[in-house]
Amino acid sequence: MNFIIASERLGNIGDPYTPKDGINIDALLAGGFIVRAQVSTTEEEKPAKTKSKKASKE
Amino acid sequence: MATSTYLSSPVVTVNAVDLSDQCTGATVNINYDQLEATAFGDSSRKYVSGLGSHSVTLDFYASFAATETWATLKSLVGTSTNVIVKPTTGADSATNPGLTFTGTFLAALPIVTSLGALGTISVTFNGGVYTSDES
Repeated sequence: MNFIIASERLGNIGDPYTPKDGINIDALLAGGFIVRAQVSTTEEEKPAKTKSKKASKE
Repeated sequence: MATSTYLSSPVVTVNAVDLSDQCTGATVNINYDQLEATAFGDSSRKYVSGLGSHSVTLDFYASFAATETWATLKSLVGTSTNVIVKPTTGADSATNPGLTFTGTFLAALPIVTSLGALGTISVTFNGGVYTSDES
């Protein structure tokens, strides 16, 4: 799970947050100090397949 | 002269949240159980260190604004977290140690209010592993 800093009390807003051992993540989320990083679920569009046509048949 | 004067720059973090600007006092107790190890043949009592039994008491203003004291502490009651107290804002060093308590337990969240005065919250974290970060 990835987190983003949402309060200056924790660090620079927008920076990723990696909790150290012992940190209570649920309390940070409940207090609005961090938010869960949104992971994109859409795949990148693949380029359309194009068959290469032979210019001319001999 | 071995004196430290705490004026305005100590750093206090609770659960990694910097609450220094809401904190007015910190009492750090670093204690170890004293186990008797005296045996026949000894002429004086001897002791060895037992379990660590540390505590940190922090005095805060009771700010209920977003990401302030209440927001930091409300979800920590009945759980363990990390607390760091440091003499100044400078980097950790032998002369500016980060007194770190890892996995220290918060049992109560008492709020004190009275007419015409700022509300306060004095919390005591008990137990946990103590280390002095000096680098």
